[in-house]
Amino acid sequence: MFRTTITAAWARKRRLVGTALAVVLGVAFLTATLAIGDSARAGFETVFTEANAGTDALVRSAHRIEGVEGAAATPLDASVVAVVAGVDGVASAVPVVEAVARLVGSDGVPLGGGGPPTIGTSWSEDPAVNPYRLVEGRAPAAAGEVVIDRDSAEAGQLAVGSSSTVLTPSPAPVTVVGIATFGDRGTFGGVTLAAFAFDHAQDLLLGSRSLITGVVVRADQGVDEAELVERLTALLPAGAEAVSGTDLTAEQQAAIEGYFLGFMETGLLLFAGIALLVAAFSIFNTFSILAAQRTRESALLRTLGASRVQVLAAGVAETAVIGLGGSLLGVGAGMLVGIGLLAVMEAAGAGLPTDGLRVTGSTVAVSVGVGVAVTLVGGLVPAWRASRVAPLAALREVSVDTSGASRLRLAFGAVLALAGVALVLSGTGEAAMSRAGLGALALLFGVLLLGPAAAGPVGSALGAPLLARGVAGDLARRNAVRNPRRTAASAAALLVGVGVVTLFAVFGSSISASIEDAVDRSFAGDLVLQSAGFSGAGLSPELLSEIRAVPDVEAAAGLGFGAVVLDGEERQVGFSDLAELTRVADFHVLHGDIGSVRAGGVGISGDTAEEKGWQIGQQVDVRFSDGVTEKVTVEAIYDDRGMGGDVLLPVDTWVAHVAQPAFALVFVGLVDGASVEDGRAAVASVAERHGSPEVRDRDQFVENEAAGVDSLLNVVYGLLGLAILIALMGIANTLSLSIHERTRELGLLRAIGLNRSQLRTMVRWESVIVSTFGAVGGIAIGVFLGWGMVRALAAAEGFGTFRLPAGSLVVVLLLGSGVGVVAGLRPAWRAARMDVLAAVTAD
Amino acid sequence: MSLPTTLDDRRPTLHGVAARAVDAVKVYGQGDTAVRALDGITVDIPAGRFIAVMGPSGSGKSTLMHCLAGLDSLTSGRVLIADVELGQLSDGALTRVRRERIGFVFQSFNLIPTLSAEENITLPIRLAGAKPDAAWVRQIIDTVGLRDRLHHRPSEMSGGQQQRVAVARALASRPDVVFADEPTGNLDSKSGGEVLALLRQAVDRFAQTVVMVTHDPGAAAWADEALFLADGRIVDRVERPTAERVLEAMKGLGA
Repeated sequence: MFRTTITAAWARKRRLVGTALAVVLGVAFLTATLAIGDSARAGFETVFTEANAGTDALVRSAHRIEGVEGAAATPLDASVVAVVAGVDGVASAVPVVEAVARLVGSDGVPLGGGGPPTIGTSWSEDPAVNPYRLVEGRAPAAAGEVVIDRDSAEAGQLAVGSSSTVLTPSPAPVTVVGIATFGDRGTFGGVTLAAFAFDHAQDLLLGSRSLITGVVVRADQGVDEAELVERLTALLPAGAEAVSGTDLTAEQQAAIEGYFLGFMETGLLLFAGIALLVAAFSIFNTFSILAAQRTRESALLRTLGASRVQVLAAGVAETAVIGLGGSLLGVGAGMLVGIGLLAVMEAAGAGLPTDGLRVTGSTVAVSVGVGVAVTLVGGLVPAWRASRVAPLAALREVSVDTSGASRLRLAFGAVLALAGVALVLSGTGEAAMSRAGLGALALLFGVLLLGPAAAGPVGSALGAPLLARGVAGDLARRNAVRNPRRTAASAAALLVGVGVVTLFAVFGSSISASIEDAVDRSFAGDLVLQSAGFSGAGLSPELLSEIRAVPDVEAAAGLGFGAVVLDGEERQVGFSDLAELTRVADFHVLHGDIGSVRAGGVGISGDTAEEKGWQIGQQVDVRFSDGVTEKVTVEAIYDDRGMGGDVLLPVDTWVAHVAQPAFALVFVGLVDGASVEDGRAAVASVAERHGSPEVRDRDQFVENEAAGVDSLLNVVYGLLGLAILIALMGIANTLSLSIHERTRELGLLRAIGLNRSQLRTMVRWESVIVSTFGAVGGIAIGVFLGWGMVRALAAAEGFGTFRLPAGSLVVVLLLGSGVGVVAGLRPAWRAARMDVLAAVTAD
Repeated sequence: MSLPTTLDDRRPTLHGVAARAVDAVKVYGQGDTAVRALDGITVDIPAGRFIAVMGPSGSGKSTLMHCLAGLDSLTSGRVLIADVELGQLSDGALTRVRRERIGFVFQSFNLIPTLSAEENITLPIRLAGAKPDAAWVRQIIDTVGLRDRLHHRPSEMSGGQQQRVAVARALASRPDVVFADEPTGNLDSKSGGEVLALLRQAVDRFAQTVVMVTHDPGAAAWADEALFLADGRIVDRVERPTAERVLEAMKGLGA
């Protein structure tokens, strides 16, 4: 039986290629994702291990706040060095300073900041402490002397002897005296390095020579890491902790996993999942058609004595063979894609620290397993149906699958779809998002079940304009709806792909709208300064004072973000000169007066007040990263948290606890009547010395915030392109099979006078109707779900304005229909080349 | 019901010949395995006549019909429909000839399943981009007796009804020749008789030319003349054939 299966599959190879290709593409995506993830993980592990090679233990502040964005350097008192050095078993104890500092290139533009840290540190020649080695120049000694990494030197066109600036975030003039490498790499994982002499690092980064950020400890021979940490822990003063080198590496690995690798991999896997889901639909459809066309063959096998189970097994085996073949090819293709992607990232300057692509056994196993499973899932129902064929069917003239949708299926679909809609609509409060997500899934599957019922009327309606194209158009329209189940199944893959694209488009557009809304509601000034990039030193309080001194400036307020432990919970908070901030921003205060909140007070959002049950006058514990806990009083409750977040502290409170206060944004209000352009020029000239942060007017600010969403969307569209491609092949494959099935009908049409061009038109438009059906369905579902998600987001987060991206949707619709044109090309060409006589007399 | 017995708007035909084959040779395969399906046939199909083409399996009767109808090409020789020589024509021109000058009735699968009976009938005319002549179409529909079936799909009709629709379609564009390939092969004798009567009427009332390939002597008896083929040649002709005379002729061929 197995032999028969292989032979049968081989005989139909042309038709199965399209099916296998869907598996190949989906699996390739999966393999590439897993392999890149593994490569990056291994690469980071290598560099972290290398970086911590000489560190047996690190002593550091115990008050570090992790897990929220904006965690800052946490200093500890330098007196701890003597304590550490005195611990039995310590061979050396080297104090280090490490904080955020951003190097400015020769063109005045800050370097790095695209994700990896921008580090300012104390330079050490001790390889146990410092993994960087000088390759040019010398170590820093005097104030303002700096060693930088080779990649930054190249990117910023800096050489030994160059003068530049380091933003800490206050601009500090520096002279490059040395260039260093990390092993043979230009730097370590995209980090930019500015290393100073120890004392000067303390001055610049911590503002005090009695503070350090850590002590790198090396143990005596015979004392292992755990032992060392144990001894250190016993003697360390409160507020300091010891961590072994191995644990440190694991911590760093976990951190990069948490905020970068995990995120990247999950995202890519999501899209691989969508691609594979679409592939499953394509496979299901192809096998359904093949099974229908092979009814006679299956029946013949049954007549010859094959049992139902044997027929089923043959079908399943065939599916498995295709799944396995496709998956193996997919793994190969995935490796090529992975290598290509790594090279592209390297060339784009976002290289991961990898040594080539790493394809593990588990990657191969998972990829092949998933590929085969997806194929089997798609092929199981058709194989089961084939096994139900009565032996007698071999003797009868077999009609093609003409069944519509069963009542049960329709009822089930309707219930699912309605449940989905209800779930999406019902969400309020915190549970809204998860409910909307669940509802989305239910709705999607409900709609797919209802598809055959909709395919007839909707297909006819969509095809109506084709009547203007004459008989060929009329025939195309009728062909598109002659087998609603097949039409719906072929369109399903595209529907899923287009639905997800639309969902993202709607969601993205709504996020942009929400940002605009938030800015419109809250921002009352004229200009906004933002430091370039995601990470970096931010904008210094000095810059703020200088801006305030500009004649045209009426008011200027910085807004920064950082992490604290508020009421026992790690949270991101905002800080600002609140009196000044109220002059350029309006947070729609509900109770109290945010502008009069001084040190010792805090402003919170209405949602937070509600969640915590706090009112004006409530005392709240806030622990800062220096370990000090302050009691602050809730003095204002505001409605609008779109810009400032849930908790706003006065900047004075913040500065008292943090070594490097820096603002993410500076809002500027100009005096009445001042021209925005002049004001911008004046502010920009002041900002030049501070690494030229962008000075934007209102519209540009909104645009820039939205631009981030747009570029993310573009990546998403690119990733979804694969799913659309698979859907396209699915439609082409279905169409080819349908054409094959209608050979005699096409022959008849040709015999009675349909010419080649009419035939091509007919096939092409049929394809376009099917794909448009999928695209329209996908857009409808995507828009509804996008709307539901935004609504849920608004309910959960108080932030969400729905906006329909009409332009994008038109493009999606045209592309979706265009898929039909492309999918129809080959089937139309083949149909047109068909020999009329052979077709008419075909069996 | 007043039906015209002649049609004054028929295209002029070459000396009253609707179709003609001259020295028609068709060879399948090459070398040792070559088969001469048509071995130099020359035949005129006179306009307004009902011709039955008969012969045993492999005699070349189907090949002759396919070549006359422009569905297949000759190895050598010429085929003309009315005054148009088919051998020189491009696919597009051949398609136009089939559309405008030829009607087809096949043994089975004659109708497009997505179209109603009426739409099937007018399809060739619409394919040509022309408007069906309503009066003529009505006349044909009444002749084939399908007025109450006009809006039915093929799947909702019996085999005999479907075949009558096929005949109506073949007549709708007023072709020079209707080619019928075993039109009764799949029908019971009553339905088959109805279809043959229709073809007969088409010749008698509308001066249509019909070429029918069949192996059924009873069917051939409806024709004006029966041609007998064997081994790719015309070996006998019977005027005004009856079933008995056809059977005799067939026996003579050893079939």
